[in-house]
Amino acid sequence: MTRPKNALFLVLMAVFASGGILFSGISSYDFIVHLDRQVHAITCSFIPGAGSLDTTGTSGCYAALMSPYSSIMRTTVWGGIPIALMSMSVFAYLLFRALDVLLGKKRSDPHESLFLVAASFLPVFMSVIYFLIAVYLVGAVCKLCMGIYIASAGVFVFAILSCWKAFRAQKGGEEQAAGAAKTSVPWSRFAVYFAEGLVFVAVPVLLYLALKPAYTEEMSRCGDLAHGEDKYGVRVRLAGSASGVPAVEVLDPLCPACKGFKERLEASGLVERLDLQGVLFPLDKQCNWMVSESLHPGACAVSEAVLCAGDRAPDVLTWSLEHNEELRELGALDAKAPPTKKGPPEYARVYARVLQEFPSLGDCVNKPAVRSRINKSLRWIVSNSLPVLTPQLYVGGRKLCDEDTDLGLEFSLSRLLETRMSMALPGATAGIPAGPAGGRP
Amino acid sequence: MKPYGIHFGVGVVVLAAISILMSAWLHGAAKRVEESKAAKEGEVAVASASDVQYCSPALKTILRRVLTSCGLVKGGGSRGCQPVEAKNVAAMSGDDFNALFAPMSERAALIQYEVDKAELDEAAKALVDKTFSDQKGASYFLVVSRASPEGSVEHNRALSEARANAVLDHLKTTFNDPDLEQEVGLLWLGKEFAQLDEQFCQWKRSHAEQQCDVNQLNRSAFVAWIDCRL
Repeated sequence: MTRPKNALFLVLMAVFASGGILFSGISSYDFIVHLDRQVHAITCSFIPGAGSLDTTGTSGCYAALMSPYSSIMRTTVWGGIPIALMSMSVFAYLLFRALDVLLGKKRSDPHESLFLVAASFLPVFMSVIYFLIAVYLVGAVCKLCMGIYIASAGVFVFAILSCWKAFRAQKGGEEQAAGAAKTSVPWSRFAVYFAEGLVFVAVPVLLYLALKPAYTEEMSRCGDLAHGEDKYGVRVRLAGSASGVPAVEVLDPLCPACKGFKERLEASGLVERLDLQGVLFPLDKQCNWMVSESLHPGACAVSEAVLCAGDRAPDVLTWSLEHNEELRELGALDAKAPPTKKGPPEYARVYARVLQEFPSLGDCVNKPAVRSRINKSLRWIVSNSLPVLTPQLYVGGRKLCDEDTDLGLEFSLSRLLETRMSMALPGATAGIPAGPAGGRP
Repeated sequence: MKPYGIHFGVGVVVLAAISILMSAWLHGAAKRVEESKAAKEGEVAVASASDVQYCSPALKTILRRVLTSCGLVKGGGSRGCQPVEAKNVAAMSGDDFNALFAPMSERAALIQYEVDKAELDEAAKALVDKTFSDQKGASYFLVVSRASPEGSVEHNRALSEARANAVLDHLKTTFNDPDLEQEVGLLWLGKEFAQLDEQFCQWKRSHAEQQCDVNQLNRSAFVAWIDCRL
């Protein structure tokens, strides 16, 4: 048998596997760091450590990290088991296999390389699946994930090349020793390797489950609505079914975090178990005295449109969340306009943009009646002494902790739903008596 | 080294490396969870009614007396207070009483009436609506109505009361506000207490297009949200 010249390919395979470990490791780190239930800047760069951290949650990496596709078993484990962790384990296994073949003098055995090809197909296959998920479901491609995709492809390509060289060398050797018996596929050895692969994934996963921060009952208590009834008639129906657990989301129509929360809630599939209504809390000083600076300029004007829309409120809300950046920019321009004789500057550009999209609301927005309703929304928030932030979700009158609105959403919300549903019926609706919804000014 | 030794050694080293790394990250997260449990709460502001700069303790004391007497503060008397009562609870001169409202010029409006009339015209209704809908975080909406010096004291008091009630009735029919009874306070003054002087001509008026004189100015209801928590 001729000695195959596949050492370089195996080295390159090991290099790409190491790259995969690096990218998956950083991604795992970003995930694990969020297990403390706090907000953190995350890494998002093709060259780890070279780019600036994402502190605003606007990068594709943040979208991918916070999406329900970043982990599995999210309803049984807080945050779930990160895909990146399993990806890191698989790359570690491939590195081990490549080094084993290289250093263990198994390069002459083409079956060793054949197993490398089979094993390295898994990350390529998963990369394709996750790329499609990123493009079509998450709507953002993450730079770290791109690194993982490239590492997967590199590992696969060099495994194939290594295998090809090994088989070529074997073929040459067989021609030299004509008549030698053809080696059969060593299935039992492959089974051992496969079992080793399982160990490489299982050990980190079990360690992760054993060492991750515990989620205690105490951590799920974040307050209740003191006066949940809708005495002002300012709630708008958002989603879910009438038979679901009554829930109130406090939101700002121009808040990027509310957009992210809406997407996560919809992706979780749990929204169908809620009877979800919304209370508007625009963080815009034009109508909200609780903020000294407008966090979301124009949110008061857009909130008027949501209340004016009646049954179409979810459509207006969805549109405003989709266009929150554009509308906030318009609002910021409007806010810079000099005061008029009648008072402070109005949000002329924001109103015009809203009416361009929803012309039928022209008779309602920017009128005293709807402004009064916005004020009542804010007074409802004051009467419940809610924190000045959005979004907030109250299920059956109990608050879903702010720390549980991203990675821990599925776990915490499903537990909250079970608690509320298991309680006696009156308790399940405590704090949320039926009230007018939909809203007409 | 034998191939099995390399196989086992490399496998253990690689697996141990990623496991140790991950354990360290998890340990850090668990430690931060414990620290956050011990951290003090209250970093986020809590929603509350507004309490602006001009709400000094002295002003609040006087407002509390006036508002309690006029039925705005829970536990107080019935809605509306007579001029003499207002004078007593405020314990101040008419000029000082008017000075109380001076800082509210941006939030206030003067709803003007025709001579010897208590009905709101369209301009008056529009200004009431605009002022009332601009509540922001204010807790109390004061309606202080007056009558010009013509006519008897009794007639002027009755006219003043009718003007205050006209504003309240309009608010009731226009705004479906369940808190109206707790937030709108009426105060009707005759000609003998706290007449408005010419400086109030600069304030928002429903008859802004007409020339402003003192008699016309006092055929009015002063309406304003008061941004003070009592």
